[in-house]
Amino acid sequence: MDLVVTYGLNFAYSTATLGLIVLGLAVVFGLLGVMNMAHGEFVMLGAYSALMVQQAGLPFVLAIPLAVVVCGALGWLMEWSVIRHLYRRPFDTFLATWGIAILMRKGVEVTFGREYQSVDQSLPGTVSLLGIDYPAYRLVLMAVIVTMFAALFVWYQRSNTGARIKAMVQNPDLAAAVGINTARLSRATFVTGVAIAGLAGVLLAPLVRVEPYMGLDYLLSSFFILVVGGLGTLEGLVTGSTIIGGADVVISAIFDKTAGYLGVLAISILFLWLRPDGIFSRR
Amino acid sequence: MKRRDFIKSSLSVAIAGALSGKAISSAFAAGPIKVGILIPLSGPAGLFGPSSQNCAQMAVDEINASGGILGRQIEPVFADVGGPPADATQAALKLWKGEKAEAFIGMHDSAVRGALTNLFKGQVPYIYTPVYEGGECAAGTYVIGETPDQQLAPVIPWLAKEKGAAKWYLIGNDYNWPRDTNAAAKGYIEASGGEVVGEEYLPFTADNFDSNLAKIKDTGANAVLITLVGGASVGFNRAFASFGLADSAIRLGTLIEENTLAGIGAENSKGLYSSAGYFASIDTPAAKAFAEAYAAKFGADAAALNSLGESCYEGVLLLSALAGKAQSLSASDIDAIAEGTTYEGPRGSATMSNRHVAKDIYLAEADGTAFKVVQTFANVDPGNNCG
Repeated sequence: MDLVVTYGLNFAYSTATLGLIVLGLAVVFGLLGVMNMAHGEFVMLGAYSALMVQQAGLPFVLAIPLAVVVCGALGWLMEWSVIRHLYRRPFDTFLATWGIAILMRKGVEVTFGREYQSVDQSLPGTVSLLGIDYPAYRLVLMAVIVTMFAALFVWYQRSNTGARIKAMVQNPDLAAAVGINTARLSRATFVTGVAIAGLAGVLLAPLVRVEPYMGLDYLLSSFFILVVGGLGTLEGLVTGSTIIGGADVVISAIFDKTAGYLGVLAISILFLWLRPDGIFSRR
Repeated sequence: MKRRDFIKSSLSVAIAGALSGKAISSAFAAGPIKVGILIPLSGPAGLFGPSSQNCAQMAVDEINASGGILGRQIEPVFADVGGPPADATQAALKLWKGEKAEAFIGMHDSAVRGALTNLFKGQVPYIYTPVYEGGECAAGTYVIGETPDQQLAPVIPWLAKEKGAAKWYLIGNDYNWPRDTNAAAKGYIEASGGEVVGEEYLPFTADNFDSNLAKIKDTGANAVLITLVGGASVGFNRAFASFGLADSAIRLGTLIEENTLAGIGAENSKGLYSSAGYFASIDTPAAKAFAEAYAAKFGADAAALNSLGESCYEGVLLLSALAGKAQSLSASDIDAIAEGTTYEGPRGSATMSNRHVAKDIYLAEADGTAFKVVQTFANVDPGNNCG
């Protein structure tokens, strides 16, 4: 029984954190069609923001505004200098952002060094839940993620900006014709996407290894989820996270970690092959 | 200058040279010895490049200051072997045939080592320095690194006796070093009266260890032998402690050095032990002098000392000892005298035995993000590697 509860919570945690990680890419890739290969690097910058706040002896929550400012500013610069010239040219964005990703990794390596860093948990220890001990920080993190997704969902459905983004995504020319400033909206969307990636980095930093190359892990799993869930909808994102996270947890529990990873790869390949638009698709 | 004058003066130089032939030949012999130093400057192990380079350079400078090897100065030539074996082979070949390197010191993975022993075929002395799975016995190859037998034979019984380690869970990345280490571990665990309650190998890409931790908890293991490497080790150990497992089980790692511990973090390092031939905090005069000299030479911001980086320092010391005893740098001369060669380094005294070295092994317990040596096992045999 304990084992079932543990696996259940692990499953929820895995799905929630995957959703958090992929959200930024879902905005940038799903809405704007920019294959942002530097997505993981923005997660990495978020984690280093948490590290800087810790090294300065400040409270952990201050890392959130810092990461949003750092990633947002860098995202703005990136959109203005490179991305805006490449909308609707997915392969070019792929190459350009990969180059930027390398630059970001090396920049952090020069500044902070290649070595592993450790960000402390602001809530160390475990709490007893349904008969098992589960890390307190993880439980809080799951609650934060669920709240965040719910708020985002409502905002995207109800707000004017959400409607404008949908219009722009469906038909940029028509959207521009009815007076939507698509250039500005695209930039704002891009900046928001990478800032969310930075936020994910802050929230995950106490749980994971922090080093200049950590972003690569997050990039891969993010693309797997978007392949399975499809682009452009929050439902797809949540479903993709559940399927990828769930397959990993369940198969790893029954067999072993290698089988879990194989399962994730197999599912991604099957989707690319049989349902290239994913489960939910705006197309 | 006229042609005639030129011939005249050239002739006189040639005659003068012939008369003092002895002086010229010894001047030639005093040309530097090029030593190829193969370390990872890129790739996953690139983290250890800077400390390896510093340590090798420091050993070279110290030996040069005291007269060099066989009266000749050492000139280190570095190459990056952080990539795949084929690239490493090319880099080594360039140093060997192009730069005329007369000996090699390597700190890299076993796949690269296999490619290099194939390339060198015993024609040039080659010292392999990092911790590894054991079993290398190629001609001309000398191994300094800890073998699983050295890291585990004294340590597992000690942990069983002092810390009550009886139910062991073995977890590592999926390649030969963890598998060979665990194969050796099983024998020592059984001999110490303990049992293995689980054994698992993870792909390098693993970054979520929840299912493994659930299994560890479920088996009731009170000791975990960790042969995960680098980032996987950091991630696993952080998650391990966050689940509160550090209170119910001790952890022993055979490749948890100072960088990995820094990534694991102070709040996750309770009950974490590491077994190795070197720690930056070894409390012996030789190790302290080494650490002080390192800090003085490279400054406080230099890459932190660790067992892999320091092994390059030991590698240069061993080369000097071998060449000194053989009075030659030829691979065959050195191979003839290698057995029993001893040298003194920061790790203590080491003696060549079957191409490996018998040496002291330290068991350290993590204290925050520093290691504290809790037990020293003197002169531990490397085991049978040429079977």
